Amino acid sequence: MPSIIQAENLSKLYPPKTKAVDNVSFSVEEGEVFGFLGPNGAGKTTTIKMLTTLASITSGKASVAGFDVSRDPSAVRRSIGVVPQELTADDELKGIENLILAARLHHVPRSEVPGRAKDLLKLFDLEEASERRVRTYSGGMRRRLQMAMGLVHSPKVLFLDEPTLGLDIQTRTKVWDYINRLNKEHGLTVFMTTHYLEEADGLCNRIAIIDHGVIKVSDSPKDLKEKFGGDVLSISVSGDTDLTEFLRTVPDVTDVSHEGLVYKMKLPKTEQALPVIIEGVTKRGLKITEISFTRPKLDDVFLEVTGRSMREDEGGGEDSWVQNMNLGRTN
Amino acid sequence: MFNDLIALTGRALKKWIRNPAAVLPGFFTALFYLALFGNSFNPTSLIPSNMGGFQLTPAMLQSIKTSILSQTFGGAATYISYLTAGIICLILVFNMAFGGIDLVLDRQLGFLSTLLTSPISRASIYFSGVLQNMVKAMSLAFLTFLIAIILPNGLQLGSGFGVLDLIGVFGALALLAFALSCVFTALALSVKSIDSLVAIVNFATFPLVFTSTALFPQAGFPSWLLGISNVNPITKATDSARLLMINGTLSSSQLSTFTGDGAYLIVFALVMAILGYIAARKALAPV
Repeated sequence: MPSIIQAENLSKLYPPKTKAVDNVSFSVEEGEVFGFLGPNGAGKTTTIKMLTTLASITSGKASVAGFDVSRDPSAVRRSIGVVPQELTADDELKGIENLILAARLHHVPRSEVPGRAKDLLKLFDLEEASERRVRTYSGGMRRRLQMAMGLVHSPKVLFLDEPTLGLDIQTRTKVWDYINRLNKEHGLTVFMTTHYLEEADGLCNRIAIIDHGVIKVSDSPKDLKEKFGGDVLSISVSGDTDLTEFLRTVPDVTDVSHEGLVYKMKLPKTEQALPVIIEGVTKRGLKITEISFTRPKLDDVFLEVTGRSMREDEGGGEDSWVQNMNLGRTN
Repeated sequence: MFNDLIALTGRALKKWIRNPAAVLPGFFTALFYLALFGNSFNPTSLIPSNMGGFQLTPAMLQSIKTSILSQTFGGAATYISYLTAGIICLILVFNMAFGGIDLVLDRQLGFLSTLLTSPISRASIYFSGVLQNMVKAMSLAFLTFLIAIILPNGLQLGSGFGVLDLIGVFGALALLAFALSCVFTALALSVKSIDSLVAIVNFATFPLVFTSTALFPQAGFPSWLLGISNVNPITKATDSARLLMINGTLSSSQLSTFTGDGAYLIVFALVMAILGYIAARKALAPV
C-alpha cells in the first residue's frame, strides 16, 4: 500500500540563503501517528507548511493522500485537515458558528453539517458550550474546538502543528487522549509537530527528530530509546573485587564506570542482562546490596543525536505581540 | 466561489455587528463630521452683517448667502446640502483604507492560513475582503445621508428627488467604494503588519481627499490642482452624488456630466478590481 504522505528530498530555501528544510525524506503510512520532533526553528513548521500547500517547495517533491502537493494543491486541500499552532477560532462567533463556518469553507454538503457538528461537539466535550461565544472559552476549550474544526470535513490526514502549545499539563493530557481516540477508534492518520518530548513519546507510532532543517533520525520512540538511550543500571556490591572487566564482557553492556563499590553501565534491556550480571557477581563471591535502573527518555535520544538539550533552543521567531495574543487566548 | 464568498463575508459582518465598539464610532464620526465641518467650514456664516461701516439688512445678507451657494456651491440650498456628498466620500475613503486592518489581523493570527489550506477559491478570499468593507462603509454612508437630512439646516434635497435619484447617488458612491475597497483589500493582503498598512494608508488617503472636491469647490483650486482634481475618482463620485442631491431632476447637460462621471467610475472600478485581484493572487500564493 502506498504511503499516505511521501516526502522525497524536500528542501525549502528562504532567500537569500536560509535553508529552513534541507533534503528531507520520509513517509507516513495510513493510520499512523507520525511526529516531527525538534526545537523551535528546526524546520518542523516549514515542513508542515509545504505539505499543507501553504509554502512552495524549493526542491524535491511531496505527495499527500496520493496527490502531488505542487501540481495538485486543490486535491491535497480537500483531503487534509489542519490544526495550526495559532488559535484561529473567532472570538465573536459562537463555538457552533465557528464549526459551521469551517464546514462551509470545506464544502461539506449543507444537509450533513448539523449531524457532523453535533458528533464533533460531543467527541470534544463541547456540547454545552457550543452556543457560547468563543471569547468565553478557556485555552483548552479553544484548542478542542480548533481540532473539531480541522475534522469537520472528515479529512484523510490531520496535520497538528504543536497541538498542546501553551496548555497546562491537565489540558495537555486531555488533548493527547483525543488524538489517541481519533487514531485508534477512527483510524485517522495524524502528522504532528511538537517540541514536547513526552508528547511524541506517548502519542506517536513513529517520530523523526529534525534539527537545523535536517532529519537526524527516524524510528519508533521505543526503538530510538533502545538504540540511542538504553537503560542505565546501577549496582552496589559488597567486597572489593573489581568487576569492571567482567561487566564489559556482558553482551550489550557499554559505558561501564564505577565509583567505589557502585557500578554504573548502559544496556539496551536490563531485563535480559540482569540475570547474567547477578550470576557473574555471585560467582566472584560478591553480594549485590542494591540495584536500580532508569529507563531512557526521548530527551536522552535528542541529546544524543543533536548534541544538545531540547530546552537550550526554545524561543520562537514570531512577533512577540502575536505570540502574546495567542498565549492570551490559551489561558 | 459564490458560497465561499457568502460564508466569509457573513463571518466578517457577524463579527462587526456583534462588536458595538466597531459600529458605534462610525455613527458618531458621521455626526461629528457633518456638525463640525458643516458649521466651521460654512463660508456663508462668515459674512459679517456690517461691512466697512455699512450695515447689511437681513434680506441683503440672505441674498449674498444665496449667491455664494448658487455660484460657488452648485446651487445648494444649504451648505450641508453641498457638503454631504463630500463627507460621505470622506467616510468611504477612511473606512476602506483602515478596513484592511481586520485582514492583516487575519493573517497575523493565523486565520488566513486556515483559509489557504482549505479548498476555497483564492478569488473568494479577495472579494470577500472587498465586499465586507463595502457593506460596512456603505451602511455608514447611508446613515450619514439620513443624519444630514435630520440635522437642522441640513441636507435639503433638490426638487423632484426620487427613488431613481437615490439609486443614482448610492450607485456612484458604491462604485467609488468598490474601487477603493479593491485597492485597499489588495494592499492589506500584501502587507505583513498593521504598521506598514497604516503608514501606506496615511500616505495615500490625504492627497486623495484633498485633491478632490469632497470638501472644497474647484473655484479656488490653482490650475495644476484642477488637472489632478478632474481625474480623481473621489471628485467624480462626489460631483455625481452632489449633482443629484442638490438638483433632483437633472437638466440634459447635467445628465450628460453625470453619465460621463458614472462611466469614468465604472471603468476605474473595473481596472482596480482586475489590478487588485492580480496583486491579491500574488499575495496569497505559497511563498
